[in-house]
Amino acid sequence: MKKLISLAFLLLLTVSGFAQTEEPKMADTMRSEGKIYVVVLVLSVVFACLATYLIIIDRKLKKLEDKK
Amino acid sequence: MKNWWWKILAIVMVLYSIGMGFLGNVPRLNILNETIRNLYFHVPLWFAMLVQMGISWVFALMYLNGYKIKYDILSSRAAIVGGMFALPGVITGSIWATYTWGKPWVADDPKLQGVMAAMIVYFVYYLLRALIPDTQTKARISAVYNIFAFIMTFVFIMIYPRLAPNSLHPGNGGNPAFGKYDMDNGMRMVFYPACIGWILMSVWLLNVLNRMKKLQYKLDNDEEIN
Amino acid sequence: MNSANIIALLKKEFLLEFRQKTSLASILLYVLSIVFISFLSFKNGIKPDVWCALFWIVLFFAAINAASKSFFTESKARSIYNYSLYHPTEFVISKIIYNIILLWVVCLCSVLCFSWLINYPVQNSLLFLAVLLLGSTALAGSLTLMSCIASKTGNSYSVMSLLSMPVCIPVMLLSLRLTKNSIDGLEMSVSYKYLGGLFFIDVIIITLSLFLFRYLWKE
Repeated sequence: MKKLISLAFLLLLTVSGFAQTEEPKMADTMRSEGKIYVVVLVLSVVFACLATYLIIIDRKLKKLEDKK
Repeated sequence: MKNWWWKILAIVMVLYSIGMGFLGNVPRLNILNETIRNLYFHVPLWFAMLVQMGISWVFALMYLNGYKIKYDILSSRAAIVGGMFALPGVITGSIWATYTWGKPWVADDPKLQGVMAAMIVYFVYYLLRALIPDTQTKARISAVYNIFAFIMTFVFIMIYPRLAPNSLHPGNGGNPAFGKYDMDNGMRMVFYPACIGWILMSVWLLNVLNRMKKLQYKLDNDEEIN
Repeated sequence: MNSANIIALLKKEFLLEFRQKTSLASILLYVLSIVFISFLSFKNGIKPDVWCALFWIVLFFAAINAASKSFFTESKARSIYNYSLYHPTEFVISKIIYNIILLWVVCLCSVLCFSWLINYPVQNSLLFLAVLLLGSTALAGSLTLMSCIASKTGNSYSVMSLLSMPVCIPVMLLSLRLTKNSIDGLEMSVSYKYLGGLFFIDVIIITLSLFLFRYLWKE
């Protein structure tokens, strides 16, 4: 009988353990260390380079069109 | 420097979405975790693709109504830009799905099948254009195929999710839309500019490719484009 | 638009078909041999899913075979003769009706071959019949247009199957789902919305073919 009660108690414990909703894990360490700014910077530079290249192509095209 | 404001706007908006996309606050959700930020980069690609394919369709119709070659050039370039956005869209979607849905390609998702159909349609469209040598015939036949295939795949993308209630994408079937409670106001402040920014980028690309093709056409045929 | 012209064109198609029996016979042989090959590879019975897939793959490629004949066999001289006599809409209507009837025959034969050599797992035959009729109508409509497009490219047959594959995906998906329902013997009411969707696609395909054909017609 004692065993059964303790088993039931244990079961209850595990159930309540499941019921406590854990906060979903996020990359909080990276954010608190400020390293996320590095990622943003790198991506922005990559995109800015591509965009600049597009601007240069656009202007070259403009010159070619004007020549006609 | 007139007509440049929207190009600058496109760059600024995409840069803003990159910055705020990583630094802004997002809801803490299970399974999605940090990958919810993919929303700012994966979904705008699809919107840009849809806009390009819509442009391609409209100008295919305009080409058939009067056979002006400039509309065919615009229509075919828009199809190319659409394909250019669809490819990274599929790849990023597959990567995201591998880590959240467990598989790169989920069997019963109507959106995925619709998108696959749309992509094959546009690859076949390029093939068809490559197979016909004569410019006018090429333009006419590919415009007909474009109109037919666009309606088939996009009507299908509109109908099928309503018939098949088991999409994993938010917004159809039992799944909540991002708009409902996944996406809060903070996310929307980044998501909408990101969409506008990428759509403008795609229009800019279309503009450049279109002007390039027109120049080439003038050089090849030694005549003005009507 | 003149219905007498359409009937005359249809009569011509059927006469040609009966004169040169080889074309229909080749399609039926194709169906028979594929079903026989599948019988050889599935000796230990076949699951409903696989039956569905096999059936529609056989039907799809047989349909491409059948419909591709509708424009490839037109000689240059005969098409010029046709241009001068008929309106494009009359011409395409007759072609579509002819292809629909042809595909119904192909459907019937593949069902017979399947039930003879493999098995016939369908429980709700009424639903299955409706799917076959609607699905093959949709296939006939889009394949007619695709065969006309493919006939303009020169190397036609491979292009034809490539062109028609993506535009037939919607039809195939709906038909596959409905066939699965009919094999499982589900209630008709479950399938109404899918049948409605298939019918809607039929209407769209036929309207589009009628609208777009005039642009393919003239050289």
